[in-house]
Amino acid sequence: MKFYLALWFAKLINFMISIVDKSRGTNLAGEKAMKIDPQMVSHFKGIDPEKVLFITGTNGKSTTNNLINHIFKSNGKTVVSNLEGANLIFGVCTALIKASSLGGRVKADFFIFETDERYVPVIRKQLPAANLLITNLQKDQVQRNGDPDYIYRKLKEAVSGGDIRLFLNNDEPRAKSFEDDGREVVTYGAEKHSEAFNKGDSYVTMACPKCHHKIVFDYYNTDGIGRFHCENCGHSSNDAADYSVTDADFINRKFKIGGVEFHMPYDTPYMIYNYAAAAAIAKELGGISLEDAAKSFTSFKNVGGRFEILNFKGKTIKYMRIKQENPETLQTSINVMANDPERKMVALGLCPLVDMIPHYANSFYAYDCDFSKLVNSDVEKYFCFSDHVCYDTANRFIYEGVDPAMISVADTEDVNVIFREIMEAETDNVYLITWLHTYEHMEKYIKEEGNK
Amino acid sequence: MSTLKIGWLFPDTLFLHGERGNLLALKRFAGMAGFEAEVDKIDFHTENFVPDDYDILFCAPGEISSFTIVHDWLKPHTDELKKFVESGKPLIVTGTSVALFGKQIVRTDGSQIDGLGVIRIISTENEEVYGDDNYFKCSYNGQEMEIIGNQIQMNDIDLNGEQPFGRLLYGYGNTGKDRNEGVIKNNSIFTNTLGPMLVCDPWLTVEIIKVAADHRGDEIRNIEYDMELEKKSFDTKKGLIKTKESSLVNCRDTNGGN
Repeated sequence: MKFYLALWFAKLINFMISIVDKSRGTNLAGEKAMKIDPQMVSHFKGIDPEKVLFITGTNGKSTTNNLINHIFKSNGKTVVSNLEGANLIFGVCTALIKASSLGGRVKADFFIFETDERYVPVIRKQLPAANLLITNLQKDQVQRNGDPDYIYRKLKEAVSGGDIRLFLNNDEPRAKSFEDDGREVVTYGAEKHSEAFNKGDSYVTMACPKCHHKIVFDYYNTDGIGRFHCENCGHSSNDAADYSVTDADFINRKFKIGGVEFHMPYDTPYMIYNYAAAAAIAKELGGISLEDAAKSFTSFKNVGGRFEILNFKGKTIKYMRIKQENPETLQTSINVMANDPERKMVALGLCPLVDMIPHYANSFYAYDCDFSKLVNSDVEKYFCFSDHVCYDTANRFIYEGVDPAMISVADTEDVNVIFREIMEAETDNVYLITWLHTYEHMEKYIKEEGNK
Repeated sequence: MSTLKIGWLFPDTLFLHGERGNLLALKRFAGMAGFEAEVDKIDFHTENFVPDDYDILFCAPGEISSFTIVHDWLKPHTDELKKFVESGKPLIVTGTSVALFGKQIVRTDGSQIDGLGVIRIISTENEEVYGDDNYFKCSYNGQEMEIIGNQIQMNDIDLNGEQPFGRLLYGYGNTGKDRNEGVIKNNSIFTNTLGPMLVCDPWLTVEIIKVAADHRGDEIRNIEYDMELEKKSFDTKKGLIKTKESSLVNCRDTNGGN
């Protein structure tokens, strides 16, 4: 009875939220309902665990979830999912509440949920998904996670028992090391592509998740991901993943998987692994052929706020979102700028962490990133902004050999100051790398002021 | 120009939190002091590791799960590492790896890992991670100074008779319950402070280079470096610390936090 009370109460909340704003309420109904029935997720009817997929990992969860949903839906499958990115158990619960009848029955072909790495064990206790996709497990959110091993142990707990099909990134050492934990393992990856890179000798790699010796990367297709092997125990990428991106052509925006040609919706190298993962899931879970999956790629549009272009008084401002505390997303942005042969301005706003109390001023992850190719490209000026972290950001460039005279610093996130600095650049080609919050303020500013 | 040798212990196994920056800082300021700085990575493949061959040893934080294998490799060198510290050479250890140099580490599941016993501390892994800025006063090479960095605390440190490196003005430090931050033993520093600390607080880096040079008996060039950028960074982070919301109460009566 508790379940029904919780369900009806939550549906009422959802109804009220939908009157105010349909785009809101991704967590609230589930959160309130689970106060009434803490086991609510386990009480929905009509869910076959074999049709349930969890997508977890440090980077790429939302994009991969969106792409998989797009492929499945455009191939006639019905899917229940948390596309808004609410990836804790409350978000999963809310998605099920929205999709269920008043009797708690959910009808769909598949149930595909993005799940926060920390909460996979908790969610899987109530919803025993038979499929788990691990994108990558990297340094991220250290204020609450400490180190990757903390998450690694939680995921190991989630897959204990082995009754699960695992979809693993062939080229990421921690994800790949789950290969002994599933009843079935499907790997996905990519061959070395034209944007692959190496880092200098002073950079560190990582400890092998199996034996803690050094992992050697032959190359990185994207930071922390590429053909690898352990110097000691032999843990390594397979020679070829079950689903591998080949012939990646970033200029003509196309690639192949299993010999089938795909359109490349976004030409940034870090997306390659999301494409391979989605194709693997479509075929293995959805029974969708590579040819049919490929057709869906032509009409895919990702959720906003990852890579955006703003136009402001003749300047083209290319925004790339980074996750603070996560060197991989910063390295990806650096590589994109470095590969642009045109003269450019670099505006980098590494900001204090404000996700939880206490806030703190961390920029140490920048020392894991290789700026050398960027500083050797044609940069007109560097602009380091943000409350409290701007001077440390500037120092990171100086440690990479940048002449301090080329760097301006502003101890603020005031968009007026940022735009003023951008307008003073001679080049029209501006890169803006910062967290989403500042970008949204700038986007709003342009809407209000841009045409004055 | 003489060569200042810096040994970097297990950089790819103890690889967390961008501590490579500390090596860059040591190298940079050694260069300013007139040395040719040479950084050697020491790991499982290193043959004939002799701590005393180095002027400075540095060890960055790692995952606690990696400590046993590193401990087993370093264990035969424990006496040499103790002599290195006793001789007054600087061994700089940051973050979780401080525990590796202590006597023992107690994990959340109750299991215990042996430390190297270079210092007497006992570490206890915490269920929850604590991440924050830290801010403290310390004395090194006879110089009083203030340090600001970050800490990502995975375990508490019982000093067990060792001398703390710093006195907290704000931050969690060793336990979150008192003012103690890290350990100092002769000229060796075992600190929770990340940042990278030696980039953000170059006044400490300069003294470490001086200590290493003194130990060699080398006269060094006067380090002429304008620290304006780092001082501005220090001041703005101090401003953040003074106004931030925090659950810590161990430094309530100082002007460091609120």
